[in-house]
Amino acid sequence: MIAPLTQRLLRRGLLGTVMLMLGMMLFQFVNPFIADSLGGPEGLASLVEQLPPAMQVLAQMSPDFVALTGLAGYLSRGFDHPVFLILLLSAVIGFTARAIAGEVDSGVLALALSRPISRLQLYMARVLSLVLIAIVFGLAGPIASRAGLLVADPTGSVRNGQLLALAALIMLFAWSVGGLALMVSAMSSSTGRVVSWATGYLVIAYFVDVFAELWSILEPLRPLSLFAWLDTSGAMVDASVPVDSGLVLGIVGLVGVVAGWLVFRQRDFMV
Amino acid sequence: MTKPATTVLEVDHLTKRYGQILALDDVTMSVPVGSIFGFLGPNGAGKTTLIRILMGFMKPTSGSARVLGHDAWTGGVQARERVGYLVTADGLYPDLSGYDQLDYAATISGRSPEWRQRILDALELDAAALRRRLNTYSKGMRQKLALTVAAQHRPDLLILDEPTDGLDPLIQRNFEELLRHFRDEGTTVFMSSHDLGEVERTCDQVAVVRAGKLISSGTMESLKRRYSQRVEVMFEGTVPDGLCEVAGVEMVHRDGQLAVMDLDHDINPLLAFLANHRVSRMEVRPPELQEVFMSFYEREVPAG
Repeated sequence: MIAPLTQRLLRRGLLGTVMLMLGMMLFQFVNPFIADSLGGPEGLASLVEQLPPAMQVLAQMSPDFVALTGLAGYLSRGFDHPVFLILLLSAVIGFTARAIAGEVDSGVLALALSRPISRLQLYMARVLSLVLIAIVFGLAGPIASRAGLLVADPTGSVRNGQLLALAALIMLFAWSVGGLALMVSAMSSSTGRVVSWATGYLVIAYFVDVFAELWSILEPLRPLSLFAWLDTSGAMVDASVPVDSGLVLGIVGLVGVVAGWLVFRQRDFMV
Repeated sequence: MTKPATTVLEVDHLTKRYGQILALDDVTMSVPVGSIFGFLGPNGAGKTTLIRILMGFMKPTSGSARVLGHDAWTGGVQARERVGYLVTADGLYPDLSGYDQLDYAATISGRSPEWRQRILDALELDAAALRRRLNTYSKGMRQKLALTVAAQHRPDLLILDEPTDGLDPLIQRNFEELLRHFRDEGTTVFMSSHDLGEVERTCDQVAVVRAGKLISSGTMESLKRRYSQRVEVMFEGTVPDGLCEVAGVEMVHRDGQLAVMDLDHDINPLLAFLANHRVSRMEVRPPELQEVFMSFYEREVPAG
């Protein structure tokens, strides 16, 4: 019974989701061309050296970083770039908002609720859909990067293992944000409210993460930001998901999903 | 041998609160097998809340509701295997075609849509329309499709909230006819409606709810019997004194030889009085459901 429910959930808003994914893939496909046009890792290092220190911090790139991590390090920055994150998070939050609150809002949840389907099955279909979206979006960027590398052929090398580790980290990040958003969606009856809450948290969390490097007063808050655990360069350079990042992102997503279930199983649905 | 069930719905001291708002107040009622049961009340009376509790969308604050022998909250999945429910016309997926919507509903119901074609025929929803996406449908067409979704899998119990909302009168009559056929084939229908004419034409039994309280329940006839009858008497002479004092008589209009009265329950005291007077014409008219309904709403409901 979960399969047709999952299929229906994923089909709703499919065009928008695919467009976001294509935008994300295009962004990562272009990145190797940019690296090549800047002269590969050496050209990048000299370019970064000319930036003022504060700008280096904001760009999360220093001459040492480029020297140490090379092309892989540079490309990893494309995976915590605001454009990439906006496209990824729009897809994840859009789906989770539609999945429960949106269906309450429009009334279509009544169709499934009125059938011989348990609330656990209804909720598991949403979790399964979230996992599938996280997997697909996690893989899409690194696949596009690989395609861009093949075509642009910049100086330096990136192994598939490095891209796979990055993909796993992106999946975990999407899972953690999706888990929290699903919890908010389970509590709400309005798509707009879920999007507002999730976007509000993520905007604050992003600025805490970025500005904590410059403003020490924010440093203690940094662990509360999910972006602090999105260690793309660590995953890319070491070809493995950093253990602490993996644990935190995995557990946050799981806590969100379980909390969402506790709400979903008991709540009244005015549909 | 197991005794066959005589009721499909049993509501026992059911109360539902939304914070400070009392939506249902200690409602007790039952719906017999094989009936078409009308559930009446104005907006905000608690009709939809009761239906949502029956469908397991909401948990009662106290009391219980049993659907086909199963608790509506804890055993809802088993109950809903044999229930058909009318979702609102906006509660269908706008991105699906009519056929895809029906197939999806049948799939998640886990039962074959054996009544689909006869419902589509009765509601005059043709194949060309069903191939179109729902976002091109009028409100009436969406309502027809929602009715088909609700009943296509031949449920034992149909729960319908305002079923003919948006249907034109001809299709409405076809649908009422269809409901009677369903009942004759063993399906019980529980429907809420604002359309008293429809309820009067279709339902065997009714319950009336106001401000969350059940204020009356029974067969259509018993309900009407409880309401005063309108009696017109034309005397050969002037209206005799003492008519107003007859038990159960409330004078509505008095003009020369004509007396128009509302009569509560028992007609015998009036007949005994009239036996001593010369009467040229007498007419006793049973109340319309609308009059019964309005009488319930004109009365004060005790604060609870």
